[in-house]
Parts: sequence; C-alpha cells; structure tokens
Amino acid sequence: MLVDHNISIQGNSENTVLIVWPEQICAKQHQAISHYQQLLKQQLGHFLLETVSSYNSLLVYYRFELISYEQFSQQLLTVWQSVPDATVISAITAKNTIEIPVYYGTEAGWDLHYLSRELALSTDDIIALHANTIYHAYALGFTPGFCYLASLNPSLKVARRSKPRFKIPKGAVAIAEQQTAVYPSSSPAGWHIIGQTPTSMFDLSHDQFSPTISPGQQVIFRAISYDQYQALGGIVVLDQQCITG
Amino acid sequence: MHNWLKIIGLKGLVSIQDLGRLSSQHLGFTAGGAADEYAFRFANSLLGNDQNNACLEVTLGQIELQATCDCFIALAGADCQATITQQSAPPQPIKNWHCHLLKKDQIITLHYPKNMLHSYIAVKGGLQSTLWLKSRSQSWVENELGFAGNILRAGDQVALNSKESSLWSLAQASQPSTSQADFYEEGLLHLRFIPSSLFLSLTSHQQKQFIEQSYVIEAQSNRMGYRLHGNIVLRQLPSTLSKPVSYGNIQLPNQGQPIILMKERQTIGGYPIFGTVIQTDLFRLSQKRPGEKICFIAFKLAQAQAQLAAFFQRFN
Repeated sequence: MLVDHNISIQGNSENTVLIVWPEQICAKQHQAISHYQQLLKQQLGHFLLETVSSYNSLLVYYRFELISYEQFSQQLLTVWQSVPDATVISAITAKNTIEIPVYYGTEAGWDLHYLSRELALSTDDIIALHANTIYHAYALGFTPGFCYLASLNPSLKVARRSKPRFKIPKGAVAIAEQQTAVYPSSSPAGWHIIGQTPTSMFDLSHDQFSPTISPGQQVIFRAISYDQYQALGGIVVLDQQCITG
Repeated sequence: MHNWLKIIGLKGLVSIQDLGRLSSQHLGFTAGGAADEYAFRFANSLLGNDQNNACLEVTLGQIELQATCDCFIALAGADCQATITQQSAPPQPIKNWHCHLLKKDQIITLHYPKNMLHSYIAVKGGLQSTLWLKSRSQSWVENELGFAGNILRAGDQVALNSKESSLWSLAQASQPSTSQADFYEEGLLHLRFIPSSLFLSLTSHQQKQFIEQSYVIEAQSNRMGYRLHGNIVLRQLPSTLSKPVSYGNIQLPNQGQPIILMKERQTIGGYPIFGTVIQTDLFRLSQKRPGEKICFIAFKLAQAQAQLAAFFQRFN
C-alpha cells in the first residue's frame, strides 16, 4: 500500500487498484479526483480497462499482464503528484450547471407529507431548501445513470426508509442523508421521494449510453408547475398505496 | 439471413452470457458475464471460438433446444446428463465437456444436474443476440431496462452465426490443455483472498477467527452475491462513504455475516470490505450450491496474478 499525505493506493485484486482519499464529502477534493481520473486516461490509457469514481475513491482496472502492481501503483502516485491545486482545477473546469425541472406537487412528491412531519418543516420550506441550490455530482452507480448528488441543506437530513419501496417511477426525485438524486428508471428505492422530473437521466442515441449527469458536474433543481411538467412530456405517477390504502 | 436456436422447453434459468461489460461500470452498469469462466471458456475453446463469444448459461439444467440448421455445439459445466433426440428415435446421451453436431430439428435436452449449478452451451461462431455496450451479456438485475434483450424464456430463439458453422467440422475440435477434474474442489472450498487494509488492521485474534472457520453458503445467494453464514467476527463496523466495488470483494454488513460480490454486483457499495477473493476461486465458488461450505485463506497479490495469468494460458 502506498500512502502519500492524502492518498492511499491499495492492490485490491488481480486487475484493480483502489485509491482512497480522506473520508469527506467535499466538492474541491472530488474535483481533484475527477481531474486526476482524466489525467490517468491521458497518460496511462494503454494500461487502463476502466476507472470508477465515488465520493472519495477511485477504482482503477488495469492490464496486469503488461505491468506489475508495484510499477503501476508508482505511476499512479506520480500522476497524482502532478495534479494542480484546487484553484487551478476550478479555473480550467467547465462550469455549466445542469438544470433539472421538478414538479414538487404533493401527489408527485410521495414523501413530502412524511418529511414535513419528520423534519418539522412545511412542504414549501422543504421544496425551497431542495431547489435552487447547486449540488456536486459525486458518483454514478446503483443503477445505470443514477448519479449521487450532495450536499443537501442539513435541515433536510433524514435517514433512508427502513423498508425500501418495491417500485418507484422513472424520474422520481429523492433525498436521503446528505444526498439527492433522480431515479433514471423504475426500480426499488430506499430514498424519500419529493417530486418528479420529465427529464431523462440518459440518452441512447448512436447505440451509446450517455448519462445526463456525470461525476464532477454541477446540478440545480428548478420547481415547475403541473402545466409546465405536462408540457415537457411528464406524466405524474401516483403512489398506489395512497390510492388503495 | 439467420438460423436459430429455439428454446422449446424450460424449467431452470437461462441467459445469454459472454465476458461482460467491464468498461461500462463507470455508467452504473453491472459488469455481468458468465459466472463460471472455466466452463465458459472451455466450451468456447472446444469449438475454436473467440473467448468472448456469447453462450447460453443454463442454471440447474432443465432446458430443451432445437436448431433450424445443423450446428456445432459444446457443453461444459454442471453435468446435466444431456441427450440428443432425433424425431421418434430414443434419446442419445452426449458427453459433457465435449463438442457435438446438433442436426437440424434434433432436440438437445439438459436434465437437472446432481451437483454444481451452471452449464454452458456454446455454438460455433457464438450466439448473435443483441450487442449492448460491446457485450451480449444479459443482466437479471437490469432485465427491465432491456438493453441486451430480455432474459430468455420458453418459446424464445437466439440467432446463430451460420457462416462459421458451415466452414468447420468436429475433426477440428481442440481439447484445451486442462482437465475439469483438476479445476474444481469437492467438499469444503478454500477461497484464497487478498486481505484489505481493513483486514490487516484487525487484531491477529480477529483475523484468525475469520480464517479458522468454515462458512455455509446461504439460500439467498445468486449471481449478484454469495451470502455466507458463520460465527460472527465483527459487527457494526463504522460505515464509510460508498466506494466502487469489484468482483470478489468480501463485504461485511452490520450484522456481521460476509457477502462475496459476484458477476452481477452493483458498481458502488457502502459496506466495509475485508478483502477480495481471487478470480479463479470465484469461478469455483459460482458452482457451489446453498448449504455447501467454504473457508478463507490469505493470499498474496502477486501469487493471485500468477494464478490468473496461468488460468488464461490454459485456453490459449
């Protein structure tokens, strides 16, 4: 294991190296990780099979038949040491923020009433605290196109549901702990739903999968009316349990 | 113009698998791929196929197939006492770990295997199903998304590579320089693993407790992960931020019973990791059933790499 003052490099398996940074959800640190990931692809691309990032870590898949772990981890460290400091990265990183329109009506935000009681906030306050804030995208995982965004206003912090829902709709906007995300497809979910978006979380043209939000980007949610939601092609999916229960 | 392999009967599980889509994990896609790469590669090698040609992965046998043309197939993995039936003639048994000519309208039947789980049916030239992100592997977890076509059911058919079949004969069949008797371990399966920094930080007593016991494979084990049951070494370890996880990672959830991540794991996980089981032992593990036992052995990374390199050599 190689340890620099703020990075640890570990041989995880035959063909993967796990790199871990200090345990924190920090946009500056993550920007450095994203920048580092780009440098690795440029400089060590001939050894790489895949790289997957998360809040404070990077898993690197490499061609172990071409280079020993010792030599490869040394090269990984050398590239890290060439990463410029935060201000330089900020200056050279594209700043466009992705806007996600959300219909926050209580029939779309299945958990708004529950959260209102739990957090002792009105539903309007919850919406005001969630929308119009820039979130940083930290990781793509759980299901294709699902991007973990943070950090929520601390007043919105709530634990995951003790029992996940079996099925939530594509486009559900949800929160849990200090995170928020949009579910790209119908799936089981343990987070709390506060609205629905008509925006797709991926594009499938040219037989590719292009996620709408990628790690390293910035996202902001904007409240829209029911009419605007419909005009954008959205269909509000109701919580079946509320209807039958 | 295609020829087809039709599923005329199905009681077990079947899906199309190749070596998966490792390089799409950064998008949130599970890597997927054949659970037992030994049997999978063996079947492709018999036919002189590309190692990444798509095959049928059949779990617990119980499938009947029919082709619309003559084709060469290879069988490997769990022994399903396979037979080939020609019209009203009695079924002819065919050997596992061998390739065969399946003639037009003949029916190949796989029965419930007495041991192991997965059988692979390779076809000369590979199955020509939907390619998604450079792989034909179908995912149970992502089935509803339907990108690589929905997982096969009775009545479905898969396109064959007709051109390759017509240019080949059984006389060209090659036997890989490996024997299945040498590969699998009967009884208690020893899983060699590369310890993580977390494991190395445990007391030697805790490390011994983890290694000096056997674990039982639980019923909820599947292509996503193998759940184990043993004496608890540690529980309620402090949680850390979610990290990318890999094939073979040994997770330790709060209740203290380990989970080994398999081919259809999700890409990111929040549980502490004790280490990673070496790949060749994961292929062996994939053929073990609930109720069977395993134990762990600490292993060095360099040795694990040598094992995997030697494994690939068997099929070259």
